[in-house]
Amino acid sequence: MAYKPQYYPGATKIAQNRRNHMNPEVELEKLREIPDDEVVKIMGHRQPGEDYKTVHPPLEEMDLPEDYVRDLVEPITGAKEGHRIRYIQFADSMYYAPAQPYDRARTYMWRFRGVDTGTLSGRQVIEMRESNLEEISKNFCIDTSFFDPARNGMRGATVHGHSLRLDENGLMFDALQRYVYDEKTGHVLYVKDQVGRPLDEPVDVGEPLPEEKLVEITTIYRKDGVPMRDDKELLTVVKKIHRARTLGGFMPTEKIFEGL
Amino acid sequence: MIEIEVFPHRYLKAKTTEKFLNEAYSLNTVERVIIHGEPLPKTIYYGPARGTPVNHPERKEINVHGVPVELTVMAGRFWITLKDDSELDKIEEICKSLFPYGYNIKVGKFTKNKATVSDYIKYGEKLVNMMDKTMIGLTDPRSKYKSSVKIIPKDKKEENNCKN
Repeated sequence: MAYKPQYYPGATKIAQNRRNHMNPEVELEKLREIPDDEVVKIMGHRQPGEDYKTVHPPLEEMDLPEDYVRDLVEPITGAKEGHRIRYIQFADSMYYAPAQPYDRARTYMWRFRGVDTGTLSGRQVIEMRESNLEEISKNFCIDTSFFDPARNGMRGATVHGHSLRLDENGLMFDALQRYVYDEKTGHVLYVKDQVGRPLDEPVDVGEPLPEEKLVEITTIYRKDGVPMRDDKELLTVVKKIHRARTLGGFMPTEKIFEGL
Repeated sequence: MIEIEVFPHRYLKAKTTEKFLNEAYSLNTVERVIIHGEPLPKTIYYGPARGTPVNHPERKEINVHGVPVELTVMAGRFWITLKDDSELDKIEEICKSLFPYGYNIKVGKFTKNKATVSDYIKYGEKLVNMMDKTMIGLTDPRSKYKSSVKIIPKDKKEENNCKN
């Protein structure tokens, strides 16, 4: 059956932004260029230039039992090499962050292979083979309009802050102050890695996006922005899911959707 | 005696908090100010970097009318006890000049004014009956007096300033 993914329901700008995130054919706007080594430093799993640690020999050298699934599924490059699995975690402010946890999870699943994501209310962790993780962190999660230096933060531990007011410089609150606002240049500098270990040199992740731009690219429904209740189609889908989950078990017929 | 809540729309830097407190304490009717906000830890308490010092630039000593106050939170709201409502306009003016990003001021009741069972358990009946009544509801039950209450003298009277 020919199937065309719809990604996300809704007619609002927010719904469209979510679709843009999820659709692998849409290339997100590239806004900054953070060098590979700097991203590695912030992630804090290995020193820049250091070899990837491995947890098993390359797959080609391994003597594995016959398995037809292995023939069907092409392993990602990190798995082929046997690289270990590492993580990167993002926290997203409720104040018009470009991405938010559920959107992140769906986006990763649509766009990448070999990811394991964990979604919580304010943070989102991705686990992946280290080399592939670094690649997507840089090329997709940080360099594009998927990220804003002020409203998104790379936080491995102590993530608290997504639902708080911003600070006076417009940055999301961070108890560990992993990044600071440089008042001279107007840029955001990471002075610690994602778990709070100090870096030798600060990493410049660029200027925070202006408020108008954030409102334009955000994927968060807000009462003072685009409210969710404005989106008729989305509400119908949400209600449908709700009815299917609450009534469907007792009465698995089309009747439960009547009146939506 | 009335209480007001000052709620800036952003978390404040130590410098702004210092300015606000100094200006607020210059008013005649301000009796005490409770600072409420997000705690800033001294060391990282969780994760692989546990024990590493945080060195948060906003956790520092500020000076309120000559009294050094160690700020351990990033101030997010102030609960101010006023003698009466005659100087509300002045507080509004201070907020207008210091918080260009917006603020809310609410008149209401935000702290307790009677000792509770927890107070009696924690301090004992004798101490609760003895203590200065303006201290009630000033601090978090778990915080220590020494680190969380500062008395700022003003016109021979004493003023309390508490971090929560």
